[in-house]
Amino acid sequence: MSKKNINYVGMFTPAGLISLALILATVVLYFIKGINYGVDFRGGIEVQVKFKSKIDVSDFRQSLSEANIPLSQLQSIGDDSQNEFLLKLESESVDLNVLSANLATKMNEKYGQGEFEILKTDIVGPKAGAELRLSAFKALFWAILAIMIYLALRFDYKFAPGAIAALVHDVTIIIGVFILTQKEFSLQIVAALLAIIGYSVNDTVVIYDRVREIEAAHPNLSMVETINRALNETMSRTIITSLTVFGVSVVMLFFGGAVIHDFFFAMTVGVILGVYSTIFIAVPMTAVFEKYFFKKV
Amino acid sequence: MARGWYLRFSLLMLFVIGALAISTPTFFNLNEKSSFPVKTKINLGLDLQGGLYMVLGIDFNKVYKDEVVNYAKKVQVTLKEIGVESSLGETITADLKDPQQEIILSNTQDKTKALDKIKEFYSYPLRLTSDSETKLVFGLGREFVKEIESTALSKSIEVIRNRIDEFGVTEPEIVSQGEDRIVVQLPGVKDINRAKDLIGRTAKLEFKIVNDTIPQATLNDWLLKAKEAKIEYKKGERFSDYVKGINEFLKNDLPKGFEIAFSKTMSKATNEITNLEPYLVESASLLTGDALQEAIVRIDQQENRPYVALEFKPNGAKLFEELTGANIGKRLAIVLDGNVYSAPMVQSKIAGGSAQITLGAGDYNALITEARDLALVLRAGALPVELVFEEQRIVGPSLGADAIGKAQFASMVGSLLVLVFMMIYYRMSGAIATATILVNVLFTLASLIAFGATLSLPGIAGIALTVGMAVDGNIIIYERIREEIRAGMTPFDAVRTGFDKAFWTIVDANLTTALAGLCLLNFGTGPVRGFAVTLLIGIVTTVYTSYFMSKVLFEIYVGKGDRKTLSI
Repeated sequence: MSKKNINYVGMFTPAGLISLALILATVVLYFIKGINYGVDFRGGIEVQVKFKSKIDVSDFRQSLSEANIPLSQLQSIGDDSQNEFLLKLESESVDLNVLSANLATKMNEKYGQGEFEILKTDIVGPKAGAELRLSAFKALFWAILAIMIYLALRFDYKFAPGAIAALVHDVTIIIGVFILTQKEFSLQIVAALLAIIGYSVNDTVVIYDRVREIEAAHPNLSMVETINRALNETMSRTIITSLTVFGVSVVMLFFGGAVIHDFFFAMTVGVILGVYSTIFIAVPMTAVFEKYFFKKV
Repeated sequence: MARGWYLRFSLLMLFVIGALAISTPTFFNLNEKSSFPVKTKINLGLDLQGGLYMVLGIDFNKVYKDEVVNYAKKVQVTLKEIGVESSLGETITADLKDPQQEIILSNTQDKTKALDKIKEFYSYPLRLTSDSETKLVFGLGREFVKEIESTALSKSIEVIRNRIDEFGVTEPEIVSQGEDRIVVQLPGVKDINRAKDLIGRTAKLEFKIVNDTIPQATLNDWLLKAKEAKIEYKKGERFSDYVKGINEFLKNDLPKGFEIAFSKTMSKATNEITNLEPYLVESASLLTGDALQEAIVRIDQQENRPYVALEFKPNGAKLFEELTGANIGKRLAIVLDGNVYSAPMVQSKIAGGSAQITLGAGDYNALITEARDLALVLRAGALPVELVFEEQRIVGPSLGADAIGKAQFASMVGSLLVLVFMMIYYRMSGAIATATILVNVLFTLASLIAFGATLSLPGIAGIALTVGMAVDGNIIIYERIREEIRAGMTPFDAVRTGFDKAFWTIVDANLTTALAGLCLLNFGTGPVRGFAVTLLIGIVTTVYTSYFMSKVLFEIYVGKGDRKTLSI
């Protein structure tokens, strides 16, 4: 294999512009479409139900509305032959427990017991929903802060801004993808985001390590040269590792079943973003920072 | 370099054998009776085996309000004993966390006397916040509030645990979360609604004298009046809120010290109230469920109907005797959670300390279940506060089975893909990597079992991701060895350099991931927590297998340095 020497740092400006545009797009989307919060964060009832045989969906909707059951969403899961549906109910005035009991009663009345099976029910009160939302963002914030402190202590503070910029970039754009596709943003997705943060910074750290090693061995190289060299030397590892994680993610996405589908959707997008941000944002940014803020004497 | 590998290899083998032993019951699904010495199996999360997860919250603002009103009533009684007449003023709830109650004295000149008495008996639970002419305003004492909070939480957990123990659930988990939450996890519970009802019910039992001086017709008129003012029970509303609303509305009509309570008849089929009968009962009760010694289900042989027989503790029996003795000819209402169960006429003084709760009419089996549950909650004791269901997650058993199957299949395919890739790309070294990854998964599962951690669906996802990431350690080392060989090193030196240089890289990379995992653990509830635990355990096993285990295997493979080529 011939030794490659690609100038990654030189691509920082166009890459940075693309990323900024994507982040900006996310912010705009946030205000236009907004995040489709799942029942975890919004409060309400989510019921997954499987019918024995085919049902008339509009008739089902109608009978629920006649019974004053405030159905906000009814979507089918998997292919049509499964007869599986996800029902979302929201109400501010009616006690959610009573509402879920009423739903069960109504369905028993209409279809008869044994004709359907309630696979899963999630009931989240409005207070719990708001708190979960807050604690999710807190967890993301603390994770990024903790990683920043670790990098500053273990390496050098010049490394921290690039890594953090990359993490914020990854998280923001994944949220953007979720807004764009209007996929449900749930607790699971926050878990995926935290996993992505972990893996993305993992990539970055491996390269920083090499930067430090080259700095020690060749102190006369400029920061740009050092970083380019580190990126080139570790590129094969970066690509192979990302491919393995990507491979697992994609397999889980397609074969893992409905429950973990969205989680691996986030993971798959995250792996791609993580590699991109490591190579083009996190590491090159260190050179840019060095140039403007920590000039060598 | 090969020095000492025997020892490390033996240690590795020891770990592997240990992990295999721990995992055997899980892998082969052995039951308790098998002769295998290890019995523990992996804990499956609620999402995998079905069950109920719920977060119950205590609405302290309501507790404060109830307490301040209660104590004001007690103050009134105390004042009356020293000849000071007073009435209750408004309850001020401008600050929900610190509600205040007004007590209005009938005569201004009683004020000093009253304040002295209150100071003597109530300086702990109450604090005077303002006093003008005849109006005394009280809030709850600061220390008292703290006591309410801590005892409410611990007592509630105790009561719930008692109830669940009697209900019979294997491995329930009941823990507090923060200062005002209780998390209850009941894996494998089939009758979800019954479990919910058992846990959520306050089960406050009170014996109250019925005021029959006001005819039933008047009560009905009052209710009609309330209905005209749009105070009526709406489906979906909490019944206790309706009862509160009624009593608030009729405040001026009701005789002092009495309130309206209902006996309600429910239709089992539609879960709706079919009939409401009003009673005028004492507001305060002298005899409550605290005085109970025992509650058992009995069958009334004549009518073939189950009832709950109550037995009082000695002092409760005495109170009951006094209460019945003083109220012969009146009706005594048995009130549970604000609802009148029955109101039999007191024929004579009842000594001996027993009473009974009869249930309404209905299907025999349903009645038996109801009686059993009622006896259970009465035995386990009343919750000190009303609990609010804040979060509930109910998973049916079949969802779990389906989900496990799919996730397992995908994890295996994904892992296989990675392993095949490693073998093709790195050949012999890839085989070493494959061995380390298989051991890694084994260690992760064994650790989950050994620590009693829970494997949830996201946890399976976590294991799959661990496989994807674990190869990273190997890749870092192998790429380094390749680099050094290209730079002209001998295989022996290249392997040594590769491992030396890669060590801190692997540690740093995994520690940063662990930081994210820790934040997740701290934030997560339920399944998400399971994912975090798997991730964290996976990180530890990854560092061990992909560095230390690889190193030993490589040392054996490379030998003493006479090898000329390396399959990498």
